[in-house]
Amino acid sequence: MDITEYFNLVFTDYTLRTITLGTAILGAVTGMLGSFAVLRKQSLLGDAISHAALPGIAIAFLITGAKDSNVLLLGALVSGLLGTFWIRSIIKKTHLKSDTALGLILSLFFGFGMLLLTFIQKQPNANQAGLDKYLFGQAATLVESDVWLMAIVTGVCLFVLLLFWKEFKILLFDADYTKTLGFNTKFIDILITTFIVLAIVLGLQTVGVVLMSAMLLAPAAAARQWTNSLGLMVFLAAIFGAFSGVFGTAISSSQNNLSTGPVIVIVAGVFVLVSFIFSPSRGLLFKQIRFIKNRRDLELHKTLAFMFHIAETHDNISHPHTIKILNNFQGYTKGTLQKLVDKHYVTLKGKKWSLTEEGYKTASNLYNQQNDNDE
Amino acid sequence: MMSNAQIEIQLIASLVAIACAIPGTFLVLRKMAMISDAISHSILPGIVVGFFITQDLNSPLLILLAALTGIITVVLVEYIQKTGLVKEDTAIGLVFPILFSIGVIMIAKNANDVHLDIDAVLLGELAFTPFDRFIVSGVDVGPKSLWVIGVILLITIALLVAFFKELKVSTFDAGLAASLGFSPAVIHYGLMTVSSITTVGAFDAVGAILVVALMISPAATAYLLTNNLKRMLVLAICFGVFSAISGYWLAHFLDASIAGSITTMLGLLFLAVYLFAPSKGVIAVIYREKQQRTEVSLLTFLLHLKNHTEERERHVNHLNEHINWQKVRSKTVLDLALKNNMIQFEKNIVSLTEKGDAFTSKAIDYIITNEDAQIEDMKDDFFLFRG
Repeated sequence: MDITEYFNLVFTDYTLRTITLGTAILGAVTGMLGSFAVLRKQSLLGDAISHAALPGIAIAFLITGAKDSNVLLLGALVSGLLGTFWIRSIIKKTHLKSDTALGLILSLFFGFGMLLLTFIQKQPNANQAGLDKYLFGQAATLVESDVWLMAIVTGVCLFVLLLFWKEFKILLFDADYTKTLGFNTKFIDILITTFIVLAIVLGLQTVGVVLMSAMLLAPAAAARQWTNSLGLMVFLAAIFGAFSGVFGTAISSSQNNLSTGPVIVIVAGVFVLVSFIFSPSRGLLFKQIRFIKNRRDLELHKTLAFMFHIAETHDNISHPHTIKILNNFQGYTKGTLQKLVDKHYVTLKGKKWSLTEEGYKTASNLYNQQNDNDE
Repeated sequence: MMSNAQIEIQLIASLVAIACAIPGTFLVLRKMAMISDAISHSILPGIVVGFFITQDLNSPLLILLAALTGIITVVLVEYIQKTGLVKEDTAIGLVFPILFSIGVIMIAKNANDVHLDIDAVLLGELAFTPFDRFIVSGVDVGPKSLWVIGVILLITIALLVAFFKELKVSTFDAGLAASLGFSPAVIHYGLMTVSSITTVGAFDAVGAILVVALMISPAATAYLLTNNLKRMLVLAICFGVFSAISGYWLAHFLDASIAGSITTMLGLLFLAVYLFAPSKGVIAVIYREKQQRTEVSLLTFLLHLKNHTEERERHVNHLNEHINWQKVRSKTVLDLALKNNMIQFEKNIVSLTEKGDAFTSKAIDYIITNEDAQIEDMKDDFFLFRG
């Protein structure tokens, strides 16, 4: 199946439509909330939470014995929240640093989850298969009710986000100031963290424990490059996330043997890469171009200044000099000389150059003021 | 009676635990614990490529190739961080899932040629390690994993002994280390290389993610108990080995994943130390906070007494309303003051004793010279009982 065929199928095939919708909504909600995680410097929290959710899934299964994904997700939510608050308490109460706390909770919860999963697998209960889909995710197992759940959570999330927009924003950029204004920072903090956990838990079934953190970070990191405004960033991140979901699903279903999760992550990674390179204000490409341009301007100025110092020693500023004396000078190239001629700072006659009136004036003021027209 | 295979499994698990605890201690101290998580995921493409070439998970070439991927991860993270486009943690969080995804896709696309199970890479299967024997000219010299991790451990220990001083200085004072002529970059990448090689060497046994547990949690647990580097290393190794062996038996009785059980033991150990560690455990911290609150109240109380000479201000009934403490709290503070012979009662009038007066005067001196911290030391001289 190729891509065009796929897009035809999206509108006719039930399974494909469900999966595409599901991954798109998931991408949007994780991108949205991921923006906050990235800006709060809690990028790795997502990784820790998604791993910490695993034992919750296993315990929920052990208690209820049912594979109903809502019940399992509830278990994941509880366990993810538990992990998150334990991480905070470790950082607050002991001298262990945040990276250690994250790594600890991540690996310990995950290990415990594995113990439970392998324990469940050995149980004489035919119903247990399929729990390991939460490890790497299986978008193919999404059904309509899952998508509805995602849509509802996204809706609630959007509502809360708009309702507390001002609070979230101010907490993000100046937590101390927020406190002095009398906001309940603890409440806002817990609210946003809970929603981040919720978004991660929602994605476990689709992308899996291991790759969930990238879903949270990549759209936000890509969006960050294009704007400095929080609102725009959240919006862009949601768009990037949704497109990663749709494209990832399209690519993975048009090929054999490709699971959706990793493909979505790689598509999101491509978004990040493109943003890193091509973003106009922060991107590496334009930064490099600006760098080269600045260096050229500087060299031009240096050549001009050098000429000025020579011309200064003569009564007639337009007294011709040979080009040869410029040769040893670092900033000089044929190109820069030509550029100076184009700007009418210098005139060339055979193998000699001479400074014009205008060039002399510009050069004498070179370091006194900003010459915008020189660039 | 333990079978040969059981002894071998426990031996391998213990060696892995030691090999992980040593670099893990430095990772924790250098605040780079999450790097080990990143490495453990991103080695996957390296393992797959290595497996294409060697067809053997225990081949040294595969280990080196995979370790190289680990180093590439570190370099990539540092490069992205240096561009200033995103923060370090975001850089880590971006790089490893993408590399891991590439690895997963490589496995999926070549499922027929690569008999490599992602589950096995991530979770390991310690129970199978004794079956892959290392045979030298027809003689069975033990499981391959044992040799692999044994060699890695020996190299790690040799490096640790040889560069202990350098590691120590650069960990605690990078500036000093650089001025003494130890290149921080060499030590940094050396540590990263050792961590990568250990991760690769151990993933076969305990799986990539649980290597992270074996690296971080013994070191973190030990860090709650001591501030001495050597003691921390020894403790971390002990915790690692203890969890490895007890975890094995837990798995044996539950009939569950050995790696999962080892991690669970590590978790329980950490939880116990986290709660009960003598000075840095949560309970000790909460107790100390409470003690300090009471002692600050006591000081406030004594200052009040010293400030007021008139009897009316020092009457028991008045004090309660004046300082506005609840009954229980005033009683605790009064009891403490009495026990320490700081105050005396005379017909319901409270006054400072000579000792109480000396203590308060000294405390005032410290407070007005902004040396409040000194009060803590002074308490040892004056207090018979603490709050």
